[in-house]
Amino acid sequence: MSQRAREEILGKLKGAPKAKTVPRPYVPPLTELSWNGEQLIANFTQNLTAQTGVVHRVKDSAEAKAKLAEIFAEEGLTTIMASTDAVVAPLDLRAWGKEMGVRVLTAGDFADRDAYKNAVFTEVQAGVTGADYGVAESGTIGLIHDRNQPRLISIAPITHIALLPVGRLFPVYESVTERVFGDKNKLPGQFTFTTGPSMTGDIQGGQFKGMHGPRKLIVILIG
Amino acid sequence: MDIKTEQFVDVARKELKNDRNKQFLGVLPYGITISRQRSMQTFADPEAANDYGRAIRAEVIARLSELLEEFEKNAAANGAKIIWAETAAEANAFVLNLARERGVRYVTKGKSMVTEEMGLNDVLQENGIEPFETDLGEFIAQQLHRPPFHIVGPALNIPVEEISDLFIAKADMKEPTTDPVKLGYAARLYLRDKFHHLAMGITGVNMAVAETGSIINVENEGNIRLNKSSPRIQVSIMSLEKVVPTMADAMHMIRLLCRNCTGQKLSAYVSIDSGPKKSDEMDGPEELYIIILDNGRSKIYQDQQTREALRCIRCGACLAACPVYCKIGGYPYGWAYSGPMGQVLSPLLIGLDRTHDLFHACTLCGACKQFCPAGIDHPKMFLYYRMLEAQADTEQKGDFIPDKPAKLFDLWSWGAARAWRWKIAVKTMRPMMNYHAKDGVIRKTVAPLYGWFRTRDLPVMAKKTFHDRWTKIKKSR
Ligand code: SF4
Repeated sequence: MSQRAREEILGKLKGAPKAKTVPRPYVPPLTELSWNGEQLIANFTQNLTAQTGVVHRVKDSAEAKAKLAEIFAEEGLTTIMASTDAVVAPLDLRAWGKEMGVRVLTAGDFADRDAYKNAVFTEVQAGVTGADYGVAESGTIGLIHDRNQPRLISIAPITHIALLPVGRLFPVYESVTERVFGDKNKLPGQFTFTTGPSMTGDIQGGQFKGMHGPRKLIVILIG
Repeated sequence: MDIKTEQFVDVARKELKNDRNKQFLGVLPYGITISRQRSMQTFADPEAANDYGRAIRAEVIARLSELLEEFEKNAAANGAKIIWAETAAEANAFVLNLARERGVRYVTKGKSMVTEEMGLNDVLQENGIEPFETDLGEFIAQQLHRPPFHIVGPALNIPVEEISDLFIAKADMKEPTTDPVKLGYAARLYLRDKFHHLAMGITGVNMAVAETGSIINVENEGNIRLNKSSPRIQVSIMSLEKVVPTMADAMHMIRLLCRNCTGQKLSAYVSIDSGPKKSDEMDGPEELYIIILDNGRSKIYQDQQTREALRCIRCGACLAACPVYCKIGGYPYGWAYSGPMGQVLSPLLIGLDRTHDLFHACTLCGACKQFCPAGIDHPKMFLYYRMLEAQADTEQKGDFIPDKPAKLFDLWSWGAARAWRWKIAVKTMRPMMNYHAKDGVIRKTVAPLYGWFRTRDLPVMAKKTFHDRWTKIKKSR
């Protein structure tokens, strides 16, 4: 079916009268590109906060851990799942969790996909991930999903805490997509941009957070 | 979903008396428009941003076959399986067979207008595979068997009391409530279980990037991300005009889409898939199918004017701009697509014969066209459809029209061609026109002109014509 359909569809499209391709107008200016380091941070924070995301800034990973402890106590978190990406792995959250009385799971703890899914859907109260990128123009974090950054950790639990080193902050989406999608042979299976918690206005326009994904998105900026 | 576009006038008449919806429509579109305008101002140069978006969409239409081939090549290289479907029936059959082969008992769906166009839910349901809409608004509309009230918020108008009853009956909610947050939470719990044990997720596609072979979904709820991350099989369905040349183009269009759709700079989630999961990944689809659906679009493409309809990116801005939509809401349009974008698309997809009232229900004010980030000139499209109809065009099924108007105009031109005929006609028409006059106003008249008076009145016609009076005055001097 598909091959015949393909030939038919493409044949018809190609056989149709040709339209002139008009040259594009100039690329709209992206003034964000002139932002310097502190401006990037300020705009990132302002934009994400406007979408009800929470942003904390800390100096280094030791402070990041202290901030995590604070958040965990505040939110009453006792079981979480963490990614093992290059930002989170060096923090050794499992050992830290033992001291704090927090159970820290990772996808690697599970023998198979179903066991992992059971945990991420029903057991854990928060997902802790690194962020590969931050985008200041809209207060967005970008995650490359791979072995160390499973997809469900940032979407299934009711809270998502992301750690973002300030060096990974960029002004506009294109600065990120050029890096992620620049080499066609190294595309990630999935890449996500996240800007705030999961939400809906579908019942009479009233805002509701945590519709299917996290009710809270907390970003800890490191550096 | 049954197509009920022929009932436009009847449903619109009913909706005009629906106080609840009227109240709702009195505020909502204005709120949407204000937040849209405010967010467009966050562009350094909003006009240039719009122009650029329109140019991208124009280029997509001009280079459609080439871009689709490029997308197909790259997506296949990423490991996705590309399925081409000429008709909705073919696409539905593919999904159904796949679900059967894999022993799937139910599927969840992300919000997708193209699957509504295909009637996929009905096909799956009839064949024993339960489809669950997971976007909250779609979920409510699906359970209530209603068409979408708005393309972005399909159940925005439904009263909380009704949703409460519905969720108690169908979504395992225990206590009645009128709190939207509690209602949303009940839906979360109910659908969460479906996501957890999901074998096959179905989504639409907002954009397909030719350059990288990636598909992009834009959403706020996170249901699409769950649809794509939890199951082993992902089926993403795109109508063929969803393709864009480059990732940078996609980013620009997403800026426009989000601002025009919900007044956000960016929706909560934008997820970009380039192939299935890698073998060492714990979650994500093992099999990724991308269905490229034609369903009449390659025919629409044959005509340089009708192909303009394929520019649409489904942002919904034209709905809130439209004075007609703002009075009647989404139900009268009778299908997945409502408002000006529905009036542009539905006639081409299901034929001018079944959508006559849709493309006539427009005063050509052009508010929609001013907003449209894809550069569609809606009024021009409607005039074109009316022309095709007048010419009894067979391609777009415009040859249905009963010859009443044509006959009337033939008679008119015959009468107007000779002075004596005209004079006789004018004299005899007057008493006929005035027959139903009351208090100096004509509110109705004899067939075949009664339709004109449905929404208009005329002052009563003078007994004598100007010419008659003039001759008389001259004589008396
Ligand atoms: S026609 Fe234009 S304004 Fe309307 S939904 Fe489509 S892209 Fe948006």
